[in-house]
Amino acid sequence: MKLHRITTAVIAAATTLALAACGGGAQDDSSGGGGFTAEPAEGGTVHVLQNADFSYLDPARGWDGGVNNFYRLVYRQLTTSAPGSAEDPNEIVPDLAESLGEVSDDGLTWTYTLKDGLTFENGDPITSAEVKFGISRAWDPQIGIGSPYLKQVVDAPEDYQGPYETGDLPTIETPDDKTIVFHLKEPFPEFDAVVSQVNATPFPEGTGEGDEFIHEIIASGPYKLAEYVPGSTIKLERNESWDPATDEVRAAKPDGWEFTIGLDPATIDERLIAGQGADVNAIAGTVQPATLPRLQTPQLQERILELPGICTTYMSLNTTKQHLDDVRVRQAISYAIDRNAIVNASGGTQLGEPSTTILPSTVAGHKDFDLYPSQDGSGDVAAAQQLLDEAGLSDGFTMTLDIRSQESMQAQGEAVQQALERIGITVELNLIDTSTYYETIGTPSQQNDAAITGWCPDWASSAATFIPPLFDGRNIYEKGNANLAQINDPEINARIDEIKAMADIDAANEQWGDLDEQILEQAPIVPLMVAKTVSLPGENVTGLFSSANAATGGIDYVGVGLKDPEKG
Amino acid sequence: MTSPQTDLTAATAGGAGADDTAEAPAATQAAGAVQAGAGGTWQALRRDVGAMLGLGYIVLVTLVAIFAPVLTSISGWTPYEFDQTAIDPNLGGMPIGPWGGMGAEHWLGVEPGSGRDIFARIVYGARVSMSIALSATLLTTVLGVSLGLLAGYFGGRVDLVVSRVMDFLMAFPALIFMIAVLSALPASNRSTLLVVVISVFGWPYLARVVRGQTMSLAQREFVEAARAAGASGARIVFREILPNLRSTIIVMSTLAVPGFIGTEAGLSFLGVGVVPPAPSWGQMIAASVKWYAVDPAYFLVPGMCLFLLVLAFTVLGDRLRAVVDAQEGR
Amino acid sequence: MPRFLLTRVSSGLMVLLLVCLFTYLVFFALSPDPAVQICGKNCTPELIDQIRGNLGLDQPFWTQFFLFVVGIFAGRTYGDGAGAVECAAPCLGYSFQSSQAVWDMIVQRLPVSATVAIGAAVLWLLAGLVGGLLSAVKEGTFLDRFTTGLTLTSMSIPNYVLALVLQYVLVVQLQWLPFPQAVRFADDPVQWFLNFVMPWMVLAIGYAAAYTRLTRANVLDVLRENYVRTAYAKGLPQSLVWRRHALRPALTPIVTIFGMDFAGLLGGALITETVFGINGVGKMAADSIARNDQPVIMGVTLLAGFLVVVGNMVVDVVYTAIDPRVRVNA
Repeated sequence: MKLHRITTAVIAAATTLALAACGGGAQDDSSGGGGFTAEPAEGGTVHVLQNADFSYLDPARGWDGGVNNFYRLVYRQLTTSAPGSAEDPNEIVPDLAESLGEVSDDGLTWTYTLKDGLTFENGDPITSAEVKFGISRAWDPQIGIGSPYLKQVVDAPEDYQGPYETGDLPTIETPDDKTIVFHLKEPFPEFDAVVSQVNATPFPEGTGEGDEFIHEIIASGPYKLAEYVPGSTIKLERNESWDPATDEVRAAKPDGWEFTIGLDPATIDERLIAGQGADVNAIAGTVQPATLPRLQTPQLQERILELPGICTTYMSLNTTKQHLDDVRVRQAISYAIDRNAIVNASGGTQLGEPSTTILPSTVAGHKDFDLYPSQDGSGDVAAAQQLLDEAGLSDGFTMTLDIRSQESMQAQGEAVQQALERIGITVELNLIDTSTYYETIGTPSQQNDAAITGWCPDWASSAATFIPPLFDGRNIYEKGNANLAQINDPEINARIDEIKAMADIDAANEQWGDLDEQILEQAPIVPLMVAKTVSLPGENVTGLFSSANAATGGIDYVGVGLKDPEKG
Repeated sequence: MTSPQTDLTAATAGGAGADDTAEAPAATQAAGAVQAGAGGTWQALRRDVGAMLGLGYIVLVTLVAIFAPVLTSISGWTPYEFDQTAIDPNLGGMPIGPWGGMGAEHWLGVEPGSGRDIFARIVYGARVSMSIALSATLLTTVLGVSLGLLAGYFGGRVDLVVSRVMDFLMAFPALIFMIAVLSALPASNRSTLLVVVISVFGWPYLARVVRGQTMSLAQREFVEAARAAGASGARIVFREILPNLRSTIIVMSTLAVPGFIGTEAGLSFLGVGVVPPAPSWGQMIAASVKWYAVDPAYFLVPGMCLFLLVLAFTVLGDRLRAVVDAQEGR
Repeated sequence: MPRFLLTRVSSGLMVLLLVCLFTYLVFFALSPDPAVQICGKNCTPELIDQIRGNLGLDQPFWTQFFLFVVGIFAGRTYGDGAGAVECAAPCLGYSFQSSQAVWDMIVQRLPVSATVAIGAAVLWLLAGLVGGLLSAVKEGTFLDRFTTGLTLTSMSIPNYVLALVLQYVLVVQLQWLPFPQAVRFADDPVQWFLNFVMPWMVLAIGYAAAYTRLTRANVLDVLRENYVRTAYAKGLPQSLVWRRHALRPALTPIVTIFGMDFAGLLGGALITETVFGINGVGKMAADSIARNDQPVIMGVTLLAGFLVVVGNMVVDVVYTAIDPRVRVNA
C-alpha cells in the first residue's frame, strides 16, 4: 500500500519534492558544517519553497512524504516519530498519549492514556472522544483515502463507513476522557506505528464532513492556519492554545511558517543560491542536477546539506510475460544493466547511488550484497549474453518498458534501453502520463513487460512495509497492485509469513535482509539506485535534521528554526 | 456573422506589415505586371539578400535532415549512444571540458547526464522538426484551400457551415486543448498526432483568406465567361480560381511554417511532444533550459538552430509577400 | 442595432456550446475512468459505483452533458440524500485533485491572470503603436529597417527561451529585479510592479512586434490613399493631415485585432505563467493537465472560449461605433 505514498509525492512534485520525499535517514549524516544543527532561536518565520502543492490539508486524505511533514506542524497523534534530532529518529514515541500503548497478552487489545492539558486551537480540550472521532474518519469512503493501516489492522464492523455515514465505531472504546482502547483483527506488534500515522489525528466531534477540511485546519499542534491560497501560499502562525509542556517532540521555535508553492524548481535553486532578503530563512527539497556545478564555490559548499535516501528506484520485470518468465532472461537483464549510466542520467553520484539490493542501506534489515556483479558497475555483458544464449535467445528480443512521462524517469528509461541493446534486447519505451502512471502499471491487465518505479518504507524501523507488499504472491490485485513482477513463489510467501510472525524485531530484520537476497536470485526486479538529497538551506536556518519516518527522509520540520529571528 | 475585419488576425499571426518600402511608389504604375508569374517573383526574390539567406538556411537544414545518417556516420556517434566518459558523474553529469564538451570527439558537445552527442541529436532533431512542421503545413494548406474554395465559391449553406466551423475553431483555446489532448492520448504515435492536432487548429486562418478572395474572384469577368461557356463548378474552381490564388497560398503557407515549428517546439517544451529517445529541437531546448547557467552551449546550440529556422521562414515569407504585393500592385 | 446584437449573441452562444460539447466529448472519449482516479488506492467496486452515481457518470453521455450545461446556468446537486453536495451556478464541477469548486479556483486566480494580461497589453500597445508610427514616418531610413529587423527577430524567439534569458540576465546576473513572486498591489506597489515586469515583457514581445508591423503597414497604406494625397495637395500641413485623415483609419483595424488578441490571452499566458511560476489560470490549466484533472481543464477551456467569443462581440460593437462604413453592412 506504499504505492500511494510515492504516487502522490511523485505526481505532485515530479522534480523537487519527489526526491525530497525520498531523502535521507539518520541525523548524523546531516553534518557539513555545524551550522545545520545549532539550537535555533525563538521567533521569526521559516520559509519553505516548493514546486508542488500539498495533496490535502486533511490528514485523513493526504499521505505522502511532503504533506506528512507539514501535518506534523499542525496536527498531533497518539504517538509520533521521534524528532529528527533524537538519537534514533526512526523510533515511535508518545505524543498525545502519556506512553506507548499497553498491549494485552493476546496482542489484540491496545490501550492508550492521554496527557493532561491537551487542547485544540480554540481552547477546547482533546479527550479520548475527539481522538476516536478523528480516527474513525479513516473509514469514511470519500475521506479516508490516506494511510490504510488503521483500516487494515483495527477491528471494525464490516459495513462501517465512518462517523458521518454510519456513526459511532463500537470497536474503539473510550471508558473515560483519558483512555482509549483499540481492538485489532489480529496481533500487530508494531501497532504504535499505526496510531502514529497522520490519519490518527483528533478532531472535534462532528467536524470535517465533506469538503470542510479542504480549506481548513483545526490545529492540535503548535501552529494553526493563518492563510491558505491553494497552489500558491500557506501561512502558519502560532497556536497559542498549544502547551509546549505536553509536547516533547516539537521544538516549534519559529513564530510562523510560510510555504510558497508552485515555484519552478530552477527558480527555487536560483533563489537559494542568491539568498536575497527573506530567502536566507528558506529551505527547499533537493537541488536540480544542473545546479550542482554551481555549488562548487567554497561559500556555497559550506551551505550544502546532504541527506541519504530511503527509497529504492527499481525496474520490475513482469514474470508473466513471454521471455521474462524465464529466470535466466531476468538474470541476464540484471547482469546487463548499467547502473552508472542510470545514476548519471538521474543527476550523477551526488544525487543517487547505485543499488544492488531491494532494501536501501538506511532501512533496518539492509544486507549488503551484489548477485550480479560487474567490474566497474556498468554491467557484465558477457555473463548476460551467456545466460541469454542458454535461454535460447541469442538474438535477443523486444520488450516494452513503461515509464512516466517525466524527465528524469525518461532519462532512466533511455539508460536502460542503451544498456540492454548491448545484449540484443530492444527496449521500447512506453510513455505514460504522470497522473495515470501508477494506476496503469498497478493494473496487471494493462501492465507491459517492465516498469521503472520506486518504493519507500512506511516506517523505517523495519522492512515489514517494504518486502511483503512487493513480493508476496498472494498480494497480486487486479487494481492497485504493487507486486509488479507478479511473482508468486511459495517459498518466498512462506518466508514472509515466518518473518512477520517473529516477535523479536531485530532478529526479524536480519531475516528480511536474507530474504532480500533470496528474492533477487530470481531477479523479479532489478534494483537500480537510491536517490539522495542535496539541499541548500538558507544561511539563517538551523535545526535541520532528517527523519525517515516523519519526512520520508527529508528535513523534519519540527526542529527547524532561525539563527537570528531578526534577519530577512 | 463575424466582423468583416477579423481576417486580420491571420495577418497578426504571420506578421502583417508588408515590407514593400522600395517597390511601393512604383507599385501603382506596375499594375500591368500582375501576371508576371512565378518567374517574376523568383527574379525579384533573388535580388533580396534577406530572403536568399533565409532560403539558404532552410535548404541547409533540409539537406542536413535528409542526410542525417551520413553525417552521423562521419561524426562517429549516433543520437542515442551514451558516452559516460564525456560527463562528470560528481557534478550532476555535467559535460567535461569547455563549451559543453565541444571538441574533436563531440563536435557540438554532449548532453549532460547521458553524454549523448549533440551534433547527432541536432541533425536527427532537424528531421523531426522539419517533417512535423512541413507535414502540418501541407495538411493545413490542403484543408484551408479546399474548404476556403468551397465556402467562397458555393456560398450559401456550404459557406455557412464552413464559416461556423472556422469561428468555432478560432474561438477555441487551441494551446490548452492541444496539450490536454496530447497528454491524454497514448504517446505511441505522437508525431502524427502533433501534425493532426496542429493542422486542425491551423487551417481556418488560411481558409478565411482563400474564402474572401474566392468570393471576389467569383464575380470577376473571366469566371463569368467560363460559367457562360458552360464550364462545370469543379472546372471553374480548379482551372480559373485556384491559379489566381497561387501567390496568396504560397505566401500564407510560408508564413505559417515558423508558427508550426514554434508550436511543435513549444509542445515538446511542455512535455507533450515527440516521444523519447527521439530528439527534437524543442525537446532539446526543454532539457537544456535547466542547464543554461552552467552549460550555455547546450542551450545555445538547439536554441540558435530553432531561432534561425523560424527567422528564416519568417523573413522568406515576409519578402515573398512584399514581392507578390508589389507585383499585384496593391 | 439590437437585431445585429441579437444575431451576434446567439451565434456566439452556439460557438460556446460547440466548444463545450467538443471538449466534453474529447474528455469523455479519451480519459481513463475519473471515478477510478478519484477513488484512489483503497478502492472497492462498490465505492467506484457510488462515486459514479454521485458524479452522474453512470448516465448516458447526452444526459451528462445536459446536466453539465444546466449546471453552468442554474447550478446542480451532486449525489442525493445526506451526502448531497450543492453546487451553485455557475457550476463547473469540482476538481478531482483538490475537491475544490472549479469556479472558485478560477475566480481565485483570475486577478493574477488579469494583471499579467492587462500589463502586457498596455506594454505591447504602447510599443507597437509607437514603433509602428515611427517606422512609418521614417519609412526607408535606418530606423525603419532596424525596427523591421527587430520585429522579425522578436517574433522568432520562443517566449520560454526569452523568459529564461531575461531571468538569468535581469535577476541572477544584474540583480535588478526580484524572482517573480506573488505580491499583491495593496501590500507593496513597488514590489508588485517589479515582480510583474518580466512576465509582462515576455508575454508582450511577440504581440508588440506584430503590432509594430501592422501599424506601420496600415499607416503606409492609408498615406497612399487618394484622399490623403488630396489633403496634401490642398496644402494642409503634415501634422494636420496625419491627425485628421491618416491616424483614425489606420488605427481602427488595430482595435479589432487587439480585442481578439486580448481575449485570447488566457491561453497565450499559459507558458509565461508556467515558466515564471505565476499562480494564474494558465498555470492552473497546465498543472491540471499534468494531473489529468478534467473538471478544471474543462472549466479553463470553457472560460477561454467564452472570453474569445465575448471579445469578438465587443469588437464588433466597438467597430460599428467607430467605423461608420460597417454600419451599412450590419
